[in-house]
Amino acid sequence: MISSIDLSVNLADLCQRANQSLVVVQNGRRGAGAGVIWRSGGIVVTNYHVIHRGRPRVSLLDGSEYTTRVLAKARHIDLALLKLELSESDRSSLPVAEIADSRMLRVGQIALALGHPWGQLGSVSMGVITSLGSLPLRWRKRAVNVIRTDAGLAPGNSGGPLIDASGAVIGINTMIVGWDQGVAVPSHVVNEFVEKALGKTVLPVAS
Amino acid sequence: MSNSDGNNPLTGLSNAMADSVEKAGAGTVMLNARRRFPASGILYDSDLILTASHVVEREDEIPVVLADGSEHTANLLGRDPGSDLAVLRLSSAVDPQADFAGQEARIGQLVLALGRPTPEGIQASLGVVSAVAGPVHTRRGGLLERHIRTDAIPYPGFSGGPLIDGAGEVLGVNTSGLTRGASITIPSGLALHIAQSLAEHGSVKRGYLGVRSQPVEIPQHQQDGLGRQQASGLLLVGVEKKSPASEAGLMVGDILVGFAGQPVADPDELFTLLTGEVVGKPTAVEIVRAGVRQEVTVTIGERK
Repeated sequence: MISSIDLSVNLADLCQRANQSLVVVQNGRRGAGAGVIWRSGGIVVTNYHVIHRGRPRVSLLDGSEYTTRVLAKARHIDLALLKLELSESDRSSLPVAEIADSRMLRVGQIALALGHPWGQLGSVSMGVITSLGSLPLRWRKRAVNVIRTDAGLAPGNSGGPLIDASGAVIGINTMIVGWDQGVAVPSHVVNEFVEKALGKTVLPVAS
Repeated sequence: MSNSDGNNPLTGLSNAMADSVEKAGAGTVMLNARRRFPASGILYDSDLILTASHVVEREDEIPVVLADGSEHTANLLGRDPGSDLAVLRLSSAVDPQADFAGQEARIGQLVLALGRPTPEGIQASLGVVSAVAGPVHTRRGGLLERHIRTDAIPYPGFSGGPLIDGAGEVLGVNTSGLTRGASITIPSGLALHIAQSLAEHGSVKRGYLGVRSQPVEIPQHQQDGLGRQQASGLLLVGVEKKSPASEAGLMVGDILVGFAGQPVADPDELFTLLTGEVVGKPTAVEIVRAGVRQEVTVTIGERK
């Protein structure tokens, strides 16, 4: 028997912990998006459409701000990789997100979206994985794997993490379909992109 | 409590919900019974599929895709537009079938709506039971005795699919074809009852009395005559010729206050009592005529 009080406390703890690796990505007048501290050394993943042009600034929910360098962009999967310009003391203290193996996902499992919908920093919405499938790419004869969720998403959630019930990141939220369905790029696709960009092997961390 | 070892209550719940989806998803099929808009169905017997009537636009050679991806065909056995249910028969017996919950849905209960509108895999959305309520008038002139409302998002193609509980058992059939712009769920008990009738007779038998009526207030002294507190009854404003009502001598001006031992205070209550079970049976109809309570025996007909 699951106690709903335990469940509620558990959920709050989990969100607090996961929000430590959540960042705000500011890009001039284009509004704010979200991002995740993906690896140590200040490596942040966000959406391509959030950074688009220029040098985005990144801040954590504790208020600390960083200038960034864009390491890589992939328009077709709407991903971008940023490197924060860190001082020596920041280097060890940045909380890196736990990344789940998104090849093991199941429809119906809990999914939580973290981000800044309508500018509300560090918001959480809960739902389940609605479906696991693929989305055809318009200008290429390829399809990209996607996670669909009924967790509520809004502008400002873009680039933020979709996490599982243990708090590990299962995907990066990228868009909203018809206001009632969110689409996320699974972590294993993000890992491939990060790996290629950094030229090193990034192993998925099992949760 | 801040652990990530997979033993916290939230991961427990998450795994249980994924298990429920897997279990009930195995009995949820994809139907191509109308052009361009696939929908879902529930395998409730080895060769019988329960679905929503409005998603079935063809009667024969309906393509069906099972959870394992295998392709089959089915034909329409019967439909009831009033409750938006239809039953299809597969050309061969298959496994596995859906399990139905023994108890009715409860308000606040965690539920999942399932659908299989594509061959890509099962789809689910999460919600809670918002209401379990009495009769609701449907778009096609029907009346649903009970229905469930939830806040789970009804994605395109979810009509005809199941609403399931945490154990993966079916609480009801989802449809967006009964009320404009919203999805409601037909409770399993009612849906299976209708399905049985559709599988056997191709339609749902409903009782026919042959009266037109409107609710009226019953004055206190007449309530005393009834021997119970009943604030309203049905004033008969029309009695169809050669109908069961006219054969039994019911007249315009009578106030119908009871049917088969049950008080009747509004037209919905009468409609609910005129089930297939009473067809052909002599049934006691309680009326107030000229201020006096009377009982008339009516042999109920069948609504065509």
